[in-house]
Amino acid sequence: MPEKQLQSTVLAGAYQKEWFAQLRRDVFDSHRPYAILQADMPFELFEVMGLPAVSNQWWSAVIAAKRLAPKYLDAMNAMGFHDGLCRYCSLSMACTLTGSPDDAPWGGLPKPALLSARLTCDCIQRVFSMWAEAFKTEFFALDNPGPTVMPPRWWELSRHRWRELFEKHRLDLTVAQFRVLIGVLERVTGRRFDTEALRSLMEGVNRQEEYFEEVRDLICNAPKTPVRMNEQITNVMAAQWVRGSGWAIQHAKTFRDEVRSRVEAGVAACPGERRRLMWVGAGLWHDTDFYTAFEQKYGAVFVWSMYLAFGPDGYIRYGLEDPLEALASRTVSMNEQLHLPPWANEWIVDQAKRHRIDGALVLTPLGTRSSAAGNRFIERALERAGIPVLPIRADMVDARSWNAAEMIRRVGRFIEERL
Amino acid sequence: MPESDSAAKQLAWHYENPMAQAIAAHRAGIPVVALTSNTIPWELIQAAGLFPVMLRPARRATPAADEYMETDVFQARIRQIFESAVSGEWSFLSAIILSRTSEQEYKLFLYLREVARESPREGMPPVYLYDLMHSQSAETRAYGISRTEELKHQLEAIAGRRIDASDLAQAIAESNAARAAVRRLLALRQDAVRLAGTEALPLVGAYWFMARPEYAKLATEAADIIRQRQTLQGVRLIVKGAPLDHVQLHAVLESHGAIVVAEDDWWGTRSVGSDIEASGDPVKAIFEHYYRDAPSPRVFPPGAADRWFESRVREGVDGVVFYLPPEDSVLGWDFPRQKHFLDGLHIPSLVVEEDPCAGGPGPELHASIARFVNAIAAER
Repeated sequence: MPEKQLQSTVLAGAYQKEWFAQLRRDVFDSHRPYAILQADMPFELFEVMGLPAVSNQWWSAVIAAKRLAPKYLDAMNAMGFHDGLCRYCSLSMACTLTGSPDDAPWGGLPKPALLSARLTCDCIQRVFSMWAEAFKTEFFALDNPGPTVMPPRWWELSRHRWRELFEKHRLDLTVAQFRVLIGVLERVTGRRFDTEALRSLMEGVNRQEEYFEEVRDLICNAPKTPVRMNEQITNVMAAQWVRGSGWAIQHAKTFRDEVRSRVEAGVAACPGERRRLMWVGAGLWHDTDFYTAFEQKYGAVFVWSMYLAFGPDGYIRYGLEDPLEALASRTVSMNEQLHLPPWANEWIVDQAKRHRIDGALVLTPLGTRSSAAGNRFIERALERAGIPVLPIRADMVDARSWNAAEMIRRVGRFIEERL
Repeated sequence: MPESDSAAKQLAWHYENPMAQAIAAHRAGIPVVALTSNTIPWELIQAAGLFPVMLRPARRATPAADEYMETDVFQARIRQIFESAVSGEWSFLSAIILSRTSEQEYKLFLYLREVARESPREGMPPVYLYDLMHSQSAETRAYGISRTEELKHQLEAIAGRRIDASDLAQAIAESNAARAAVRRLLALRQDAVRLAGTEALPLVGAYWFMARPEYAKLATEAADIIRQRQTLQGVRLIVKGAPLDHVQLHAVLESHGAIVVAEDDWWGTRSVGSDIEASGDPVKAIFEHYYRDAPSPRVFPPGAADRWFESRVREGVDGVVFYLPPEDSVLGWDFPRQKHFLDGLHIPSLVVEEDPCAGGPGPELHASIARFVNAIAAER
């Protein structure tokens, strides 16, 4: 594990660990409710209702980082779930179904009061239904309407013209479903929903993402990247899961300040940086060391992943007269924006150009097949823009088929031959 | 298609030549609109004076799909549809309508639209999304009604004319008559079984490719003739899992003494469902049918998705074959739950993972099916 270069990263990691420990104390000792959510859910509603929420994907990443995924996934196969089913979104459930508090990270997830997910793919309703049954708790699903109009450069419209970008009929359905969800949250928490509190939180999210935008611009414009991709992710995601909260805004500012100081002082994450790489797709959570493996020999540094870059473009919403509608617009198309044509390919090429990317590694998830959709369009668009692409076939959380040495050799050849 | 052939032969011929009537309609000046799944309202297309046809491309090489579609992500049928759509083979289609009721179809919609934007190809039909949600809630129901109205407007634009109440009434009547004919065929697979699955699938499947009045007439005739046959004896099986638009698996099963009496997918037993209400608001009635009665991978909650299967199993069956080919990444989640249900009723089941179309059924598939069927027969 490479050293953490930023104090913010240490703070973010410590915050997450303490946040989870406090959650367990609240749930076990004080019997307070909490929720488990799919990563693309409107966490803001849970935050404003005072219901702590654990992201399914974050917990999967924690399991993977502790190298526990193979054990749980093997146990799922033994239960009759075949090997071709998605792993990233089901690993946390597998931990519940097949693990025990003794072996799960940090003692495992306590019983939640609620599970909730958007039905983007065809699997997630199945995974969350089973998970809810295992916990003997409630699952609330938000269905996912499809777009009919998709102007390619969506990020130029998403901040101010989001009503037109995301289409009235989609926003209306999403808001209607939010209202039902709010009713559930009121029942679970015993609190009343407050629109003004949501508006205030949404303003906080904007401030937080504006700080992240400054960081992104600093990375784009600095001669050498001031912060490694790994550390970007830790800092950004710790804040995103509690976005708009006082801690999240303050942490985004602290992170911005530290990155800015490094740029002003001429500090580079890798002083020998000669090539800038982008990672397209979810993180390789079981082997994050991979991201720094090319610095010494090749001066090749990962400077971009979607986690920081999507913050400003995907989250900022100006014009909060109806904060619920603005939140719907933030929620309703995350999958299309990040993964599917035309939005993902157009955005990623634009990001690559702005970040002066020399080469892109595009993850085709082996164990989460539907997540690979859209990759060919992204790869083709990058190559057309003059950015060489290396497709990486691997799983985000399952290390069973990962050969780190071989993959490092492959990337090395890619750097030598194409960059 | 020789007129003198029996009704059953004519239906089977249309199943094997799914575009025959569509091409004839196109030549006769009737615009043809294609559907990609069972959850798209045939009746609205018909009511607009367009010829509706289900897409069922033959399996063949897919160079264009290989260029744009990721390996191991899309089902073979979805790749074939992409291939035929971008290759210009379907230039006679006025439109292709895709449904939101499967992730694969939704992504196919986005892919086709992106190819048209990025590198337009001659003869590629325009694509439309019918954004039907299959989770059951008041909100998705209201949304679905509005999207069905929107689809009606889109079809009116394609047809260049308004759809009026009498158009809808006639389309619903034609469609319901064809459903009744399908149900006559399906009745021959219940109780005293006279129609084997290998034969039934093409007879039922022709429903998707023909003008429905003609289909209803031929299917009724075929059912009347088949009803005169001796009953079939054998181990009665339900096939459940990935939708089967071919008879290869049925053929292997029935070659070992089984009779496939039902399929829990939209190409077979569940293709038609119940009738569309002929009274009240016809657009709403059409929507309700596709919202509540059409199977899809996105029906939610699980109780709603399992209802038909559990009911049909309780009506009487000797075993269940789960078809979960390598391309499956969804239905495998349901398998342990459904197997648990069967185990509780002491109904044996078998998982088939081999795709019998990929190089033909292998000896291992034959052997496992023989063991399964023989074991049930020995217990009876």
